[in-house]
Amino acid sequence: MRAMPLFLTLASLAGAQVRFEEIRKGPAENWLTYAGDYQGTRHSALRQITTENARSLVPKWVYHMPKANGLRTCPLVYDGIMYVTDSNVIRALDARTGRLIWEFKDTRSKKEGANRGAALLGDRVFFVTADIHLVALDRRNGALLWEKKYGNVEDGMFASAAPLVVKDRVIVGVANGDNGMRGYVSALSASTGEELWRTYTVPKRGEPGSETWGNYIEYGGGATWLSGTYDPELNLLYWTTGNPWPDFYGGDRGGDNLYTCSLLALDADTGKMKWYFQFTPHDTHDWDAQAWPVLVDLPYEGRPRKLVLHANRNGFLYVLDRVTGEYLRSSKIVDLLDWAKGIDDKGRPVRVPGKDPTPNGNRICPSVRGATNWMSPTFDPATGWLYVVTLEQCDIYASSSKAPEPKKNFSGGGAGPKPADVGQFFLRAFDPKTGERKWEYPMTGPGESWAGTVSTAGGVVFFGDDDGQLVAVDARTGKHLWHFQMGEGLTASPMTYAAGGRQYVAIASATAIFSFGLFEPQTSVPVPASQ
Amino acid sequence: MRRVLFLLPLLLPVVLPAQHEKTGEESKNPFIGDPKAIEAGRKIFASGCAACHGPEGQGGRGPNLRESVYWHPLDDQTIYSAIRKGIGGNMPAANLSEDQTWQVVAFVRALTAPAIETPLATGDAKAGEGLFWGSAGCSGCHRILGRGGALGPDLSNIGATRALPAIREAILDPDANGARGYRSAEVRLKNGKRLSGVARNYTNYSVQLQDRDGNMHLISMQDVSEWHIGKTSPMPKDYKQRLSRQDIDNLLAYLSRQSVREVTPEKKTTE
Repeated sequence: MRAMPLFLTLASLAGAQVRFEEIRKGPAENWLTYAGDYQGTRHSALRQITTENARSLVPKWVYHMPKANGLRTCPLVYDGIMYVTDSNVIRALDARTGRLIWEFKDTRSKKEGANRGAALLGDRVFFVTADIHLVALDRRNGALLWEKKYGNVEDGMFASAAPLVVKDRVIVGVANGDNGMRGYVSALSASTGEELWRTYTVPKRGEPGSETWGNYIEYGGGATWLSGTYDPELNLLYWTTGNPWPDFYGGDRGGDNLYTCSLLALDADTGKMKWYFQFTPHDTHDWDAQAWPVLVDLPYEGRPRKLVLHANRNGFLYVLDRVTGEYLRSSKIVDLLDWAKGIDDKGRPVRVPGKDPTPNGNRICPSVRGATNWMSPTFDPATGWLYVVTLEQCDIYASSSKAPEPKKNFSGGGAGPKPADVGQFFLRAFDPKTGERKWEYPMTGPGESWAGTVSTAGGVVFFGDDDGQLVAVDARTGKHLWHFQMGEGLTASPMTYAAGGRQYVAIASATAIFSFGLFEPQTSVPVPASQ
Repeated sequence: MRRVLFLLPLLLPVVLPAQHEKTGEESKNPFIGDPKAIEAGRKIFASGCAACHGPEGQGGRGPNLRESVYWHPLDDQTIYSAIRKGIGGNMPAANLSEDQTWQVVAFVRALTAPAIETPLATGDAKAGEGLFWGSAGCSGCHRILGRGGALGPDLSNIGATRALPAIREAILDPDANGARGYRSAEVRLKNGKRLSGVARNYTNYSVQLQDRDGNMHLISMQDVSEWHIGKTSPMPKDYKQRLSRQDIDNLLAYLSRQSVREVTPEKKTTE
């Protein structure tokens, strides 16, 4: 086994502080943000697991999350402790053994709901409750420091996203754009929870952008249910927004419906919007823009550019200048795409007429799940490619002529596939410089996965497949290296970390956290000297 | 012995929250949360039920009414019926009026509801606060919202998560529930280093040891030359003698108000 710098297996954690600068460095032993790094590349510097030895991976431990059903969490790891979340609960596990260290459950939350993970800064760990409170705990022992409410469930929202720590603040969002609400991104003080700024994703009536709406602007949606990414040099946050409301009926909201289905570049200090880019103006397909904005520096047309890559639910991979928001290029990530002929030179879709939901149902591609979704992509700097879980599927989209009712779970229609027309997932490697599809790995399964990817300096891409398996493939060729069946559907993305000098790959299945590492014969543990 | 109070030695299974979710709005009981009715219920319970169920429902010849296995599936109506009609040949029917029966139900509910929701705590919270941070020494090991010691369980939210009888028991008989998650731990490593604190978790193969400063030590038993994990927590066992009944009530009143969220106790009156 390749030697690693010895991790202090017996290290006392006194004084161990997660520093902003440490998060900036990106993942190696530790995995400190939902996406691992600020850029959303989900690429780890760990290289103990390689294309040569990945076939020797074995499960090291499993932790069954009590009462879990459809875990969305991406584990964080710092100094050998793993943090995992579920609805209104956070647990700390020994990352080498999977043993529970502590848990905190907010028993008074007014809602239950999916939770995508935690955030770390200093000696604190943060997560959100479903009823929109940010909770701060001592990350070592789970002692509660404070809770701060930053939204009202009475306004039709809840919270599910992993917070993002930037400098001394915690960036949070809200969910439930399908229900009639007004989305926003907030920055809360990491010390006190005080709200430092709030930026709404849908303007107030009369504000710039409100002319792109008809009725219902007050409930326009634009939820912010996925963490964003961050460029420390530009001090800009990149946050995606969800669909306009009502989802499938656009008749009462003529116009582009800013700033839904968009990518927002926000000043991290003030929340001021520096630029926006709307992928799907006047969306009627529930194509939230909640997929990861991946920040990379690549040559573009002969000169280095600061880019943001975004594989969107609407079926296109976008390349934008992340300083200015300028649209540079796009390409299809799926073959089943019939709602737009392409993207014009301003970045707007060239729509195919007749591809809106209808009262009797209209077959449109991609599906409502999208060509991809919030399942995490990964960017491997060694190949320069972006790896995206994609879904080839079309749905029957139906619209409702019923008068919209906010906060009543009314979405103006619905969508789903015919039973004989369920989709197929593919892991695809794209060259963002050209849009070229370098390889693809077809999956089997029911077309219900929400699992994403992680790449490593060992040249391995791990992803959760549509049949409940964690799979390792060669980043350059897509060749299968290893797989493990976890026995249930996956709704989360894998990550990798090291503890005790060994690399692990972990993923949440529907009900449990699995951690894998290279096979080693066990050494007999002596009978305890004393109990 | 160190003059410190080590409270609530358990990581109780997550049953009390479930109870909280189960209780509340649907009850037809007019007396839920009514202090006078609960007190009346307590008196009836003491004279008629406590012989088998214990004065605070802790069990005896009859079942422990605070354990989830008994109360979790029971709604107020079921408890009411059990009191009125009895249970098979085991529990006799009680000869109580309808109101008296509901009063007993209200008392039983108060035994398991989070302390902040019930008016069972009759002490002086201010005096209890003084004890907690002062002479009783609780804050040497326990923390509330980031203040205090770190060896024992965090009590920031204790009133919102534990019933008053459970908190009382944890003070007076801290190991009654086995001290799991907070058992005293002493470990000597093969490199000679010694660590002590509590075992938040352990098996034959690893121990997750939390020291007095709240730091976590993740230890493989391969690296251990000797270890001792007790069956009890480090919390002193003599608070029953050390504190007066009034002190305990005052402490309970303070602890029962510890909730990270504001909770207005559900108070209904029959007047």
